[in-house]
Amino acid sequence: MIAELATHLEEGYEKLRAQGISGEHAVKQTVEQVSDWNDLQRRIHFAKTRKDTMTNRVKQFWLPGLLTFTFSMGLLEVVQKFFPQPFILRLDHPPVLMFYLPWLLTLPLAGAIGAYLSKRAGASRRMTLFSSVFPVLPLAAVFLIAIPVGLVLSHTLSHGIVAAAFLTLGTAWVGVPGAILLAGGFLVQLLFSRRSPSRGVTTG
Amino acid sequence: MIGHGVKRGTAELAILSILGEGPLHGYEMARRIERQTKGSLRFTLASLYPLLYRMEQRGWIRGTWETSRNGRRRRCYRLTPAGKKKLSPLRQEWLELFGALRRLSKVADA
Repeated sequence: MIAELATHLEEGYEKLRAQGISGEHAVKQTVEQVSDWNDLQRRIHFAKTRKDTMTNRVKQFWLPGLLTFTFSMGLLEVVQKFFPQPFILRLDHPPVLMFYLPWLLTLPLAGAIGAYLSKRAGASRRMTLFSSVFPVLPLAAVFLIAIPVGLVLSHTLSHGIVAAAFLTLGTAWVGVPGAILLAGGFLVQLLFSRRSPSRGVTTG
Repeated sequence: MIGHGVKRGTAELAILSILGEGPLHGYEMARRIERQTKGSLRFTLASLYPLLYRMEQRGWIRGTWETSRNGRRRRCYRLTPAGKKKLSPLRQEWLELFGALRRLSKVADA
């Protein structure tokens, strides 16, 4: 840093000398660029060591996503306590699809909350929608890992049964809730786009 | 005469814009900005380097030591991919702001 500043001062001095200014005056003008060297040292130190305590990704994705996740899982707990009987959809072939309908009905709100918080933090459209479906992302990741592992490890059950089980669980706990969360997120996107039809300059 | 608050806001845009033309070391950067803005934006050593280090910390620019033809060692700054990505929307924001202010002043004059 010192070498860099010294180079800058040298070049400034040489330029002044090339303009015909005397050595003494050139030194004075060069040094006058900095009125308080201690203050400069502090500002440079702060600039070099300061890290943003919260990056954009945390504000635009992780925080809204985790809040949405907590909210939706909290609602699921409440629903399971007060409406313990899930809705069961029996298909022609087993297994069956099981839904907690009251929970599903609250998911547009959860998705909207995540999308709203993300959008407020200045997120892109894609990031906003990812935030809205955050509650199902961990489950989706589990299924993406568990399905292949389950198919490989299941010796006693046929692969068809294992695959069908994962498909129905995935539909009931990832696919359908994810679509509903996304609907909430899309609604927020629509409201935001209507509020600011052209890309305006925001202050503050 | 541009006020201090406005200058501070445009300083990052000025640095990113000038580096968008090619890599430069600090002194030459300040000279070019002063020349191209006809003296409206002037960076002293005290105002330039904290800003450069802050932008480097953010990952928008990267400084590397290079030796010039006359043997002088200088730290040369160039835009990173993140800085290039930052420049266009920042420029657009300022253009929109100036456009809005211009329209406002026309309305005020009318």
